Amino acid sequence: MNRSRSIVVALVSIVLGGAVLALAGFALASATPHQKALECVSSGANSCNLNFSVFPDSLAGEHGSDGGPHPDWVSYSNDDLVVPANTVVHVTIDQYDSGGSLNNAYLGTVIGTIGGVAKIDGKTVTKVDPNNVGHTFTLRGMPGNGTPILVSVPLPADGNSGTPVTLGSGQYAKPVVVTFSFKTGSKGVYEWNCEFPCGGSREGQFGFAMSTYGYMSGTLTVR
Amino acid sequence: MSTSTIEKTVHKGNASGGGLARRQNFLTGLVGGIIFAWLFWWIARLVGDQSSRSFSDLTATSVTLGWLFGFWLGIGALNGPFRWLIGRDQTREDQLYYAGENLGVSRYWKFTTDHKVVGVQYIVMTMVLLGAGGILAMAIRTNLITPGNHFVNQQVYNSFISMHGMLMILGMIVAVAGPWANFVVPIMVGARDMAFPRLNALSLWTLVAAAALLLTTLAVGGLPVGWVILAPITNQAGVGMDFFAMAIVVFTVSTTVAGVNTLATVVKMRTKGMTFTRLPIFVWGSIIAAALGLYAFPYFLLAEVLQLMDRNFQTSFYVASGGGTGWLQANLFWMMGHPEVYVILLPAVGAIFEIAAVMSRKPVFSYKTAVGGMVALAGLSILVWAHHMFTTGWAPTLGGPFMLTTELISIPTGIFFLVLIATMWRGNVWFRLPTLWVYGFIFDFVIGGVTGIYLSDIPIDNQFHGTMFVTAHFHYVFAGSVLFGAVAALAFWYPKVTGRFLNETMGRISFGLTFIGIQVTFISMFLSGLKGMPRRYSSYSMLFEHTNFITTIGGYTIMAGMLVLLAAVITSWKHGEASGPNPWHANSLEWMVPTPVPLENFDVLPVITEDPYNFAEKVDH
Amino acid sequence: MSQSENKKSLVGFYWTWGILTVVGVVIGLWAPGRFMPASMSGNMHLSILTIQVFTVCAAPVAAGIYAATLHNIRHDRWRGEGVPPAAEAVRGNTTLVSAWLIASSVLTVFLLVWGLGALAVDNSSTGKNPLVVDVTGQQWLWTFHYAGTDVNTTQLVLPENREVQFRITSDDVTHGFWIAQMAVQVDANAGVFTEIHTTPDKLGTFDIRCTQFCGLNHSSMVTTGEVVSPQNFQKWLTSQPATI
Repeated sequence: MNRSRSIVVALVSIVLGGAVLALAGFALASATPHQKALECVSSGANSCNLNFSVFPDSLAGEHGSDGGPHPDWVSYSNDDLVVPANTVVHVTIDQYDSGGSLNNAYLGTVIGTIGGVAKIDGKTVTKVDPNNVGHTFTLRGMPGNGTPILVSVPLPADGNSGTPVTLGSGQYAKPVVVTFSFKTGSKGVYEWNCEFPCGGSREGQFGFAMSTYGYMSGTLTVR
Repeated sequence: MSTSTIEKTVHKGNASGGGLARRQNFLTGLVGGIIFAWLFWWIARLVGDQSSRSFSDLTATSVTLGWLFGFWLGIGALNGPFRWLIGRDQTREDQLYYAGENLGVSRYWKFTTDHKVVGVQYIVMTMVLLGAGGILAMAIRTNLITPGNHFVNQQVYNSFISMHGMLMILGMIVAVAGPWANFVVPIMVGARDMAFPRLNALSLWTLVAAAALLLTTLAVGGLPVGWVILAPITNQAGVGMDFFAMAIVVFTVSTTVAGVNTLATVVKMRTKGMTFTRLPIFVWGSIIAAALGLYAFPYFLLAEVLQLMDRNFQTSFYVASGGGTGWLQANLFWMMGHPEVYVILLPAVGAIFEIAAVMSRKPVFSYKTAVGGMVALAGLSILVWAHHMFTTGWAPTLGGPFMLTTELISIPTGIFFLVLIATMWRGNVWFRLPTLWVYGFIFDFVIGGVTGIYLSDIPIDNQFHGTMFVTAHFHYVFAGSVLFGAVAALAFWYPKVTGRFLNETMGRISFGLTFIGIQVTFISMFLSGLKGMPRRYSSYSMLFEHTNFITTIGGYTIMAGMLVLLAAVITSWKHGEASGPNPWHANSLEWMVPTPVPLENFDVLPVITEDPYNFAEKVDH
Repeated sequence: MSQSENKKSLVGFYWTWGILTVVGVVIGLWAPGRFMPASMSGNMHLSILTIQVFTVCAAPVAAGIYAATLHNIRHDRWRGEGVPPAAEAVRGNTTLVSAWLIASSVLTVFLLVWGLGALAVDNSSTGKNPLVVDVTGQQWLWTFHYAGTDVNTTQLVLPENREVQFRITSDDVTHGFWIAQMAVQVDANAGVFTEIHTTPDKLGTFDIRCTQFCGLNHSSMVTTGEVVSPQNFQKWLTSQPATI
């Protein structure tokens, strides 16, 4: 093969190979589960509302009423949350699951919310019993500029009984309703997850639902 | 039973030989593997306790075992032992059939014992492993081009980094030793084949079985644990972890078999006059690496067997709440992991010495010092493993001693540079494709070596450990040095395999892109590390935004270089410039035989009277 | 000048060696301060100093290898047609090998002595009234408890110029506790305590990053802390609500 032909072959191989890889990458990016984001609903100047739930299974949330691949795994109803920058976010979480003891009792404390408090079924608290927690909503991360954020709110176990409500294909007792507010900082992607050991596995109970994207963790994108 | 016991090589046809093997090839292996995997899955579900927390792990482990045995059966790996068991050992015709006589291209798809076929199969396997690892590297870099996981989510990313690491490490282990210790070493020492030809084929196809298991990991839940497989996080992974652990067990079988074979060949099958001081230096690199591999890989096997025990039988080797410790896994892993670096490096260094001598038309400078340096490095490498664990908190009092052994490594490494440069110094350096990659090796290995000195020092390691600085350091050693050695070896011996030169123009374009790409990628990665970016982060602070962007651009450049190399390898196979049997006018035995090399290599075994580096008195062939 | 004379002249080699050495030394002295996080402890000063010393030692060696390689490419390249003829066969040079071995051994021993000395300094403790902080890593969060108090926090506050002793453990898998501005790092392991100590000597914020892969949100296991004056530290400590 002469020189100019070799150069042509080299160029073609780069272009062709690059195109194949780019296509494969595009296919991969489309196939990767990115859940539909839950947008914060504006409620006046510089404030908005986020409402979501956490269930003892996956029958009522974003995995669909058939529960997706793991219907018996605990799950949050939404994973990817989108909020505006420099805004007060009012969060309401309906907690439908039972509970137990935290690995780290300190996370029974409400951390990082406005006033350091949360409302549990209307009652204002700064901490809850760390041995009767269902899940936590723990948000942190560092976009690199501005103050890093840490918001952690324990969601007490749901001890309610009575007529179950049907959501999706699951039936649940009346939830514990937890509300709290926090202020967002600058733009960036933050991550949140549950800190209650609810995933099984032998060390720390953080396997399965806790270690799989789209169940007990997600992102908070500040736009 | 080895084909080398056959004295005469003149045979025509193999109409009667082969038996069952006539109908066996890679496809039957694949089918056998899948059928047995399914069978084992079915049995596991039948007898297993569905309520056990190990049920899915036991099922997965059974599937992997079924796959391995089915694959071995299907491809014909067990024919020989089976016939020996029933007292009907293979005949000479059978052995010639197994050696691939008159089989044409189809022998590359079969359980073929000819070492040259195995060598070519290893070239392909190396390209498959490194190619898969490279594609994952591109995915990783694409995700890191901006912070925030815009390409894949963090779970997929975590699987990718682990798989990238493992595929690349396994690919690097076989990159030089696989193709060339099989293809050229037996000819170099004047043997008709490897000492154990059937084991040779077994090692290759076992590697294929292991690679298949490793790649399947991605389809069965991935491997989101990091490539050092640090326990106890492995207990949180799904059945992908079982597939991975079994892949390593199978891989260890493959390398052990291959290492024993290389050693036995060189120790027992050298031709008359081929003393240890007349061996081409590449042979030394290969056998020291093989011996070191025999020491190192069993630790990996053990680490993964304990892992499988923890997962399948609820033992607690690595589970703190059950009395175990992740430090056990870390020790076992690094007792394999550091010698393994030299299992990877030494064949490449041997090849680089060989190429440097031939291309500069001078003997290897201070041959015995060079061999001594390699032996010293191999010896030291088994005493340094805990420098990977300086910051784990395990045995802080051993920090000083391990720092000492680690820094001593500078001395034999320094010898390599002395030998390499003194070999080429005042030579008549022939600037062909292999030479370029040798110079690339020198350039990158200096950076890889010097940055290693910082990491061996504990006060500095306390800052750099676990950051991108470490990642950049060992990529300079692997991607910058070993890969360059591997490509140099490929360009150097490619004419022996195909009778044609690797396309020089495309090779040079590939060299340029890869060399520049390596510098751009890994110097910017050093900067990320200096700035404090930890490894294995799927997303990062804006502090590291610019350096990561540059790293990604560099990564794409390396990929372009590798694509051109791939195109060169493929197009030159049939259309390259014809080379003749001895294109580099070298003296070692592999160049004395015709190209393509006949089955059993030599009509008459040669007698050696001097080392192969006397270029002045060379008789033209 | 004929090619053989040209080959013998080493002036260019020495020049290149010298220039590259200077370049290496300058980069080695400049880069740590330019790129690394601003130092906030003696351990970090020591790390930076050791990096600089090692670079100064390594620069001549690396520069020598580069200069020799460049000289080799420039002068020993075969420019004729076809296969180059054999060059003079030099099979060894005891003086050169010995000199190289001695030089590299001396350098290595120096690095070792420096390194072991630095390690001793790095590990040395004043032992005077250290502030003890219990650090717990868990997926994917750090929490800190000040020993002898009821104070727990997720953002570390440390007093200036007082030794801090960290006792580190994990609630689940292994994590890596690293303060990027203080060059102290150790893993958090389930079931055991690992210890490190350092003395912050500069006011300001610092970054704690997890350096041991710990699963899904490993890259979010980052937090910041602040070094404050001893008075402000006491004020802060007493103002914290008792938790748990």
